[in-house]
Amino acid sequence: MRVTALAVAVCLAGLGCKKKEEREGTQGAPSAPNALAAAKPAVVGLVTDIGGRGDQSFNDSALRGLEAWAGNVRFAQGKYVPLTADERAKLLPASLAKDVQPLPVKPLVVQSKAQEDYEPNLQLLVDQGSDLVVGVGFMLENAVEAIAKANPAAKFLLVDSPILDASGKPSALPNVRTVVFREEEGSFLVGALAGLVAKEKVAFVGGMEIPLIKKFEAGFRAGVKTTNPKAEVLIQYTGSFDNVAKGKQAAQDVVAKNAEVVFQAAGSDGLGVIQAVKEARAAGKSCFVIGVDSDQAHLAPDAVLTSMVKQVDLAVWRASKRLLDKQFVGGDEALGLKDGAVAYAPVTVDFPGKAEALAKVEALRAAIVEGKLKVPSNLAELDAFTPP
Amino acid sequence: MIELLVALLHSVLDAAPPLVFAAVGAVLAERSGVVNVGVEGMMRAGAFAAATAALAMPTPLGLLFGMLAGAAVAAVHALLCVQLRADQVVSGMALNLVMLALGTFLLEALFNSSSGSPQIAPLPKWLGHSPLTWLAVLTPLLVHAVIQRTPWGLRLRAAGEKPLAVAARGVRVNRLRWTALLASGALAGLGGATLSCATLDHFEHHMPAGLGFMAVAAMVFGRWSALGAALAATFFAFGDALRIGLVSSAPQVLDYVPQGVLLALPYALTLVVLALRPRGGDAPKALGQPFDPELR
Repeated sequence: MRVTALAVAVCLAGLGCKKKEEREGTQGAPSAPNALAAAKPAVVGLVTDIGGRGDQSFNDSALRGLEAWAGNVRFAQGKYVPLTADERAKLLPASLAKDVQPLPVKPLVVQSKAQEDYEPNLQLLVDQGSDLVVGVGFMLENAVEAIAKANPAAKFLLVDSPILDASGKPSALPNVRTVVFREEEGSFLVGALAGLVAKEKVAFVGGMEIPLIKKFEAGFRAGVKTTNPKAEVLIQYTGSFDNVAKGKQAAQDVVAKNAEVVFQAAGSDGLGVIQAVKEARAAGKSCFVIGVDSDQAHLAPDAVLTSMVKQVDLAVWRASKRLLDKQFVGGDEALGLKDGAVAYAPVTVDFPGKAEALAKVEALRAAIVEGKLKVPSNLAELDAFTPP
Repeated sequence: MIELLVALLHSVLDAAPPLVFAAVGAVLAERSGVVNVGVEGMMRAGAFAAATAALAMPTPLGLLFGMLAGAAVAAVHALLCVQLRADQVVSGMALNLVMLALGTFLLEALFNSSSGSPQIAPLPKWLGHSPLTWLAVLTPLLVHAVIQRTPWGLRLRAAGEKPLAVAARGVRVNRLRWTALLASGALAGLGGATLSCATLDHFEHHMPAGLGFMAVAAMVFGRWSALGAALAATFFAFGDALRIGLVSSAPQVLDYVPQGVLLALPYALTLVVLALRPRGGDAPKALGQPFDPELR
């Protein structure tokens, strides 16, 4: 039984690949509306990581992509309420409003309270007949791998990590699509901006010292090096993603050492970083903080220069769209500036020379999108990096 | 150099208070003979209640609610351990788990968010620090004086060493333990409230992220004395501040010592100190034993 199922899955995957090649050029074009209207709504399940709904970051972004963008609903008091046009406009950036249309999907969301919840939650969504199951966050990698192997007929999307084998090498599964982000590209742009805003010193505060966070560091430092080669970059790692006090302590250190811009990629520790910068500004220091994952300006409107945004929402919406278009295939994908999947949030604060600085950053963005500029994604590549 | 030392001191004064309050609170409970590993849960209750209350009233008043919430959790602990003579470690750990889940549940019920409460009005700053920092300097001195220099403190210590002797003198051991636990909970709650009202300006769903267990470690490290526990807590904060200052000022250190080792250093040192001391030398003798007046 399992063998047949696997064979079917492989066949499907093969078909899908072929289709994908054919349709590569027409990606993003609206598909035949009749076909869509006729189809019954697809069920897209989503398992959050332990951050859960309301983390104002990664999980919320994924939920926005599924519930608001694709399902055109919002979750309130335990059930889904359709979005009004106004609400939808608020949740969807104007630049994407044309492409990102509501889809006939029914969201099915399960939150994880602990690491042990991931596998049962994924299996639950498969058992509930989800046409696609989304796992949000690299922490779900093992769980998605296990459940995808046990349910070869189900389709999965894993956000933020490829499927890794025991030795840590990527190993694709036919029924799992994985999306990672080129965080280094977005980090590069905020680094470039930081280099333009700061005169002598900037800082990076990371969470755990893992390759994912090193990508942020490498991109950020390359960006600073490009626009302000003389600037010193102070580096801190807090060793956690859940401890605001540690993040605050790390940020207080770099601010005391006169860092003018602090970029945080430290999960909840980062809230402490933003708080430290906010308090330093209240005490008369001139410094800014750069948020991460989603636009964190609302936490401290004066202090947040911009945020390095990962559009998990877009990745989830796209996967739902592909599913409906019957184009969903397994495999790994890395989304970057070019795909609009990483970006920097609108700069709402004022600083001297803002217009020129933003123009320079935009020029760098264009260079990356055109492929003229390759951003280093780890520290070894950073050493070899020469600014344009 | 002076500037760096000032930054170090500033960092310690900012990071230590939650831990100091909780560690001093833990001392009060354990000197009376009741194990309190529920500090983590009491801190969480305090952090949540203070931030929630501060949405509706001035933040300093919210702190009182934080203390009340901590004391309320401690009351459950007292009911189970003092009144019903349950296992004190099990009760403490169970309360931690309950508070972990309850905090998340209430966040979702009240604020429709699993990550945190809305922002509250910040506390004022006195001499560059939150008033709680200065309170954290005074509290250990006060509690130390109460434990060491007052008749009540003498009875409290005796209840933790030889409860039968205390009872023989006509003092109600369990009433002492109740009082000590409620005070312990209030202090742990204040520690949690410091996290949500001074360290940050809202309740964040991970709080206190293991700080309660560090407070218990600080209590042991500080030999069950209020001053010692406060110093140990300050030492932990200092260890962190020193590491942080070192890696940003002299990143070449990391070429010789991996970051992970530095991160673990204060705790590794605690283990060494514990290992070097005679077994159970400083712990109250009757710690962990429920008192049953009928057994005399």
